[in-house]
Amino acid sequence: MTDFKAVARARGLDIPEAELDRIVPTLEKLEAAFRPLAADLPPSLEPATGICPLEEDGAE
Amino acid sequence: MTLLEAAGALRARRVSAVELATDSLARIQALEPRLNSFITVTGDAAMARARQADRELAAGSPAGPLHGIPIALKDLFATRGVRTTCGSRVYWDFVPHYSAAVVERLEAAGAVLMGKLNMHEMAYGITSANPHFGPVRNPWDTARSPGGSSGGSGAAVAAETLFAAMGSDTGGSIRIPASFCGVVGLKPTYGRVSRYGVMPLAYSLDHMGPLARTVRDAAAVLQAIAGHDRRDDTSSRRPVDSYIPEEGCSIRGLSIGVPENYYFERLDPDVKTAVETAIQLAGRLGAAIKPVRLPDVDALNTVARLILAAEASALAEPILARRDQFGADVLALFDQGRLLAATDYVNAQRLRRRLRGEFGRVWKTVDCLLVPTTPAPAPRIGETTTTLGGVEEDVRLAATRLVRSFNALGYPALSIPCGIGRSGLPVGLQLVAAPFREALLLRAGAALEDGGLRIPRCPLAS
Repeated sequence: MTDFKAVARARGLDIPEAELDRIVPTLEKLEAAFRPLAADLPPSLEPATGICPLEEDGAE
Repeated sequence: MTLLEAAGALRARRVSAVELATDSLARIQALEPRLNSFITVTGDAAMARARQADRELAAGSPAGPLHGIPIALKDLFATRGVRTTCGSRVYWDFVPHYSAAVVERLEAAGAVLMGKLNMHEMAYGITSANPHFGPVRNPWDTARSPGGSSGGSGAAVAAETLFAAMGSDTGGSIRIPASFCGVVGLKPTYGRVSRYGVMPLAYSLDHMGPLARTVRDAAAVLQAIAGHDRRDDTSSRRPVDSYIPEEGCSIRGLSIGVPENYYFERLDPDVKTAVETAIQLAGRLGAAIKPVRLPDVDALNTVARLILAAEASALAEPILARRDQFGADVLALFDQGRLLAATDYVNAQRLRRRLRGEFGRVWKTVDCLLVPTTPAPAPRIGETTTTLGGVEEDVRLAATRLVRSFNALGYPALSIPCGIGRSGLPVGLQLVAAPFREALLLRAGAALEDGGLRIPRCPLAS
């Protein structure tokens, strides 16, 4: 699990400690839900960048 | 009177654009103390535009359905010479020297723009409890939220101060207020309506669309605003369809998918009943109702939340030093996005592509999906949690859990009112189709409306 408070300090972000206490649990839940989903992505799977119209993105 | 009925009356000279604008302004003046749905009312400009519309009609100029019709804009559409705040203290004094593509198209169609509508600060939330301009109130019960972030748009259309309003939808922000306020809301396909000149929240998730009293009214607005715009790199060159459903249109033979998983879990009983009744109506009108199993919606919601958090915070980074100028909820969301790893954002976009491929297969078996828009009716203003199916949920996450995935997929989604719950609040359902099939969605929605899927007028409007 990422130490989000350490990340905030390392990046020099001006987020007060009380605010960090409030937002870190949400981030930890999001990370816990997301990381397993992304654990087995094949290298051939490229990002959906969203900078091209949908029909050119092979979505249909 | 609906937008299209007003358009017919204008063309037949039974009413003038000046009369419609005057009535709209009078209603705004009477109801705004209770609703707070506007940030800026452009009364003088609207009256001047209405007089011009009447002159054009008298001269026999070709008039589309929006000609002379009072409409307003969520306050994140740039309007040349008119303050555009994004519901934010940061943009308190921002007066653009340009107009959004949507605004240009509405003006070209002859619409009479009445002003700029209140919204959730920075479009980043679903309550529209704006800390700078005051909370927007739901016309069905002014102690309740109209939803958001296009809360002013939903409230004003429900209260009938306007015939239609423009909103934006990054994680449900058109469809949630449509559901909570008992009006129609359309999120078109990503790329169908230009994003040029709209203050972005998340580049790859932002969609622009109308809120209106009926499906055909929403279709008339889409007809005016859809189409390619070279100033938006994501704008589609695909030809614009004919969107306004004919009288007597039918859903006979249409294949409507009803998901077996996810969408009917943990619903307020009133929502479940109303949506199931609508499904039965669709069946009686000749649609083929088919159970379908969808891919992992929870995963897609997680992906969409992560992408939204990263993109929104990247956009806001230059203004986040002004911490005292943000409301607490929006600042917390921006701070969350700043702490995410770049690798997670890229992998979320990779997962999004995979899930988009998996979801796309559903269109081989059905023409559209029918699901609830929100799992519960409007919450009370200030409510932060709700309990559904015995599980306590954050109000924001509950309100977005049935709508957010379609932003990540880019699919068109239409919310229409389908009932009134025991609490006296409206309930909405959502029709969803493959990319660029707005015409099909609107036809299905109009056929359901014609078949009896309507709710009474909001008491405040009557």
